Amino acid sequence: MVTNNVKEYNAFTIEEKVCIEALEVMFQIMNWDFKVIESCRSSTNIRNKLDLKNFDHSVVQPGLAWYDVLISCGHIAWLLDFYGTLRKRFKDDDFWLGNLLASSCRQLIVQLCSLTGTIFLSDNLLSYTEYIRQMLYSIVEWINPPDVIIDAINSGKCASEMLDGCRALLSIATLIDTETFNSLLRPFGTLQLMSNLTLKVAFAFGNINNDEQSCISEAMDILLETWSILLMNTYSSGKGLSNEEKNICASLFNYLMDSQLKAASVLIFKSENESGHFLASVSSRDERLGSICLIARAAADITLPFLFTSFSERLKGLCQIKKQNDRNSTLEELYWLILMSGHVLTDSGEGETILIPDAFLVQFPDVVEASSHPVIVLSESIIIFAEQILNTEMRAFLNPRLMEVLVWFLGRWVNTYILPVESDEKYYRNTQIQRKQLSPKILPNYAGGNSQGKRILHVSIFISIIALTSYPGQPKLQALTCQQLLPALVRRKNVCIQVISLGSWNNLLNVFANDMSLFSLSSRLQRTLAETLIHSASAIKDSNLSNQYVSGLMGSTVKYLVDISQITKNDVKAVSPQPDIICWVCSLLERLRGAVRATEPQTQKAIFDNSVAVMNPLLSMMSIYKDEATVVYMILKYAVDLVEGQVVFLSTEDTRMLIGFCFNLLEIYSLHNARKILLSLSPGLLNEAEIEKYKDLSALLQLLSNLCSKDLVDFSSASDGLDSIDIGQVVYMGLHVVIPLMSSELLKYTKFSKKYFYFLSHIFEVYPEKTTQLKNEDFIHIIGTLDWGIRQQDIEVIEMCLRALNALASYHYKTKLSWNADISTQLEKFQRPNDMSTEHIMHHFLHSLTHLLFLENFRTDLVGTAADALLPLLLYDQEMYQKLVHDIVERQSNDIQKSGLSTAFNFLTDSNQLSASLDRPNRQRFRKNLQKLVIDVSGILRTN
Amino acid sequence: MSDDEHHFESKADSGASKTYPQQAGTIRKNGYIVIKGRACKVVEVSTSKTGKHGHAKCHFVAIDIFNGKKLEDIVPSSHNSDVPHVNRTDYQLIDISEDGFVSLLTENGNTKDDLRLPTDDALLSQIKDGFAEGKDLVVSVMSAMGEEQICGLKDIGPK
Repeated sequence: MVTNNVKEYNAFTIEEKVCIEALEVMFQIMNWDFKVIESCRSSTNIRNKLDLKNFDHSVVQPGLAWYDVLISCGHIAWLLDFYGTLRKRFKDDDFWLGNLLASSCRQLIVQLCSLTGTIFLSDNLLSYTEYIRQMLYSIVEWINPPDVIIDAINSGKCASEMLDGCRALLSIATLIDTETFNSLLRPFGTLQLMSNLTLKVAFAFGNINNDEQSCISEAMDILLETWSILLMNTYSSGKGLSNEEKNICASLFNYLMDSQLKAASVLIFKSENESGHFLASVSSRDERLGSICLIARAAADITLPFLFTSFSERLKGLCQIKKQNDRNSTLEELYWLILMSGHVLTDSGEGETILIPDAFLVQFPDVVEASSHPVIVLSESIIIFAEQILNTEMRAFLNPRLMEVLVWFLGRWVNTYILPVESDEKYYRNTQIQRKQLSPKILPNYAGGNSQGKRILHVSIFISIIALTSYPGQPKLQALTCQQLLPALVRRKNVCIQVISLGSWNNLLNVFANDMSLFSLSSRLQRTLAETLIHSASAIKDSNLSNQYVSGLMGSTVKYLVDISQITKNDVKAVSPQPDIICWVCSLLERLRGAVRATEPQTQKAIFDNSVAVMNPLLSMMSIYKDEATVVYMILKYAVDLVEGQVVFLSTEDTRMLIGFCFNLLEIYSLHNARKILLSLSPGLLNEAEIEKYKDLSALLQLLSNLCSKDLVDFSSASDGLDSIDIGQVVYMGLHVVIPLMSSELLKYTKFSKKYFYFLSHIFEVYPEKTTQLKNEDFIHIIGTLDWGIRQQDIEVIEMCLRALNALASYHYKTKLSWNADISTQLEKFQRPNDMSTEHIMHHFLHSLTHLLFLENFRTDLVGTAADALLPLLLYDQEMYQKLVHDIVERQSNDIQKSGLSTAFNFLTDSNQLSASLDRPNRQRFRKNLQKLVIDVSGILRTN
Repeated sequence: MSDDEHHFESKADSGASKTYPQQAGTIRKNGYIVIKGRACKVVEVSTSKTGKHGHAKCHFVAIDIFNGKKLEDIVPSSHNSDVPHVNRTDYQLIDISEDGFVSLLTENGNTKDDLRLPTDDALLSQIKDGFAEGKDLVVSVMSAMGEEQICGLKDIGPK
């Protein structure tokens, strides 16, 4: 029907608008979410679920009923013809392609390329292939010949048609297998066309030097995605590529690589600004390279030797070149070659187990010798290069950038190939790869615990040492070493066991403990480094030995810290404020933090002993550096991590020591910061100071919350004869210290307020009886924050406040029931901050909660939690509740509303056998009643 | 360890100097730095990527701790930057004179009368009001590179 409309207005120059609207309608219809009948889905071999990384893509499956409308009546052919005619007519108008009619027409055509499912007759996909071929033949004009089109775009022609062509290719590629895809355009083959187009686009992409031509990079992304889909199809179908297809992939990759290298060696002579986009976002670059390397893997037997020869040629040339400029361009080429090889040989493995790429296991079935396996040949050449760098003379040639990529490469390689995960037979059975297709287990065995593996680990460790000590002021290099390479070495236990047996690892430990140059690493890296090194102790089975290992490693750090605290104490004025001393103290603290974060059962003892040794020095530093926000924050964070890592393991006596330390810390902090006003002319500096205060308090709350965890999880042997510690008592004492430091301003930070209310709801639920011990003013402060919290927008905050309220009210109700008359005489008067009237807190909350629930727009998903809080409040003083209800009812002017409301309110308390207890079934009943009531009441009150 | 002790002593000798050299790469946010001869607090550090030829550079945005002006600087991360020696001292407030100066009690019992009150009205009234109410006030004074300024106020007395 729609297409008929369009047909009528075939005089396209005058009725353009109608056409556009009609096409839009058709496009919308094609976007419908058509129901798919389950049995049909399984009969076709078309994948319904598509995992496209960056592109929205929906499959159109309208079902057989649409056959007449879409296929048989020739509307689609008409549409293609329509666009074709228009296109010819406006051939000379460069801007017509961007015109609304043209683009909506193309949009529809692209959408029709995703047409699939039962609409096609079940004749073994013949009619489907025919349909797709028809589509493709008209689309080809948009992208073929690639060089002419790209040149036109470079000289200013609108690129949207070419982009739509790429999108159509992507849609088609997702729906059919690679072989059929290639055979659609005979005699040249679709892949050949794709390859030509990709080459051209890549060439244009290499030449763009600003962001204006984002269409080229978009086309590049779409094409690469299409390649990934096509190549993934071949692996999942298990067929592999034909030789012809392989050659296309190989020549494409080799060309891309060559042009990349040329670009790199030319760019080295340009200034930093000109090559901005080239160095642009590393993550998007890596993503693109990842896709390009999939192409390389598809034809590994050609591309890997190509990479190898390119690499060895450059390397040979490097030593012979005398001029620095020439050498720089070779270095840049080497950089790209290592980067590419890394991407080809390994997966990034973010969030998944890293495996040797399937492509390498499937290919090369004939290779029997490890030394002739292309993967190993390429890897070895780079690893040997790394070995040469250990030599200082060779290192003189290098720049830090090359070191970066080398460290990155080794990190990924070690993760993938050393003692790989799949050396287990079971792995093969679970994959789709047939066992017989695999080459003999050369790759998994290559670095599997034998001397090769050790040799490579040894090289990696030495490279790490060099990167950390010989390249000061190279944050990127150091970060890669600490966050990627070293963690890769200790991540898996079987590798870690090999690592710690090596002499070079001891060298690294030694450097860490004694080399002063390592203190110039940034603080986060200090922490990661310490964490990684301590973590390696988990590979030692004997717990005595692993404890020795840890104390050996951290001993010097502890000693430095103790020494500094002595020296600064003796000479507070002269030594302590020196920036380098402060910097050093922070580094030491970060190391200690890293160590406690790596606490594991078998190393716990040594780490705790270290911590005990620094407790007193830290307390004295806390006083000395009271004005040095960074040091204070670092000490607090150390305490937070210490408690988190250790508290569950500690015996009573040790816990007491730890708690004592935390308390002294809290008190010193409070002494220096309570009632302090900062004066500064600059709002910027005040703001910074405010943020520092916020971070400190957030750490303090975290500290108290972590202490609470002792009550929940405790691994220590309880029978050590001493009285157990009352954690509740301890936490409330902590609260005393923290409350006066808090201001209502701080609660406006979302993260902080969540932390605070989580903590409150926890302690009120677990230790309600301790609330009586709070000082009056503190208690009022807490109640004030709760009152503030239930009126917030954040759903989590409200929920936690209600839980806290529930706990508090339940406790008071229970004590009232047990006739405990002396309950908390001091606490039940609550002074509201705004008006000076005092009221019973229970009444206050009963009042504000009923008000919130019935008269304001309360969130319905929170009614359940609110019911839990309301029940004890209501039971506590039923008279008061009746009075409140009476007020609400009486406020209505309409008699019908009045009676409706009072029935509804009666229902809350009288139906469902509600009793006056706080047990679970009763709470459930009350929840149900309240749900209904809230709906009823809002129905009645909001209608007027 | 003898090396390290030596390390401290050599630094202690230069205690009188106003600034210290520190590698730019190790100066972090919230640290101090000298830019254009002024003592500043760093509010933002960004490190550039390693260039093709050599070294990373640090870009500092910092606020002058005395006049609140914003300053920027770019230093190669392996080079040294000057870091000011910022000291804070607490004094008890004894008196506020008519002409806007304060009188402070030093540790050894002398008075220090050369500091002005802040010129900003809001800050000024905080000090004056607190003092007028008879609270015991402690003033913290920040000093760096020959300049001094009142930077904080704490009430230690009974409420």
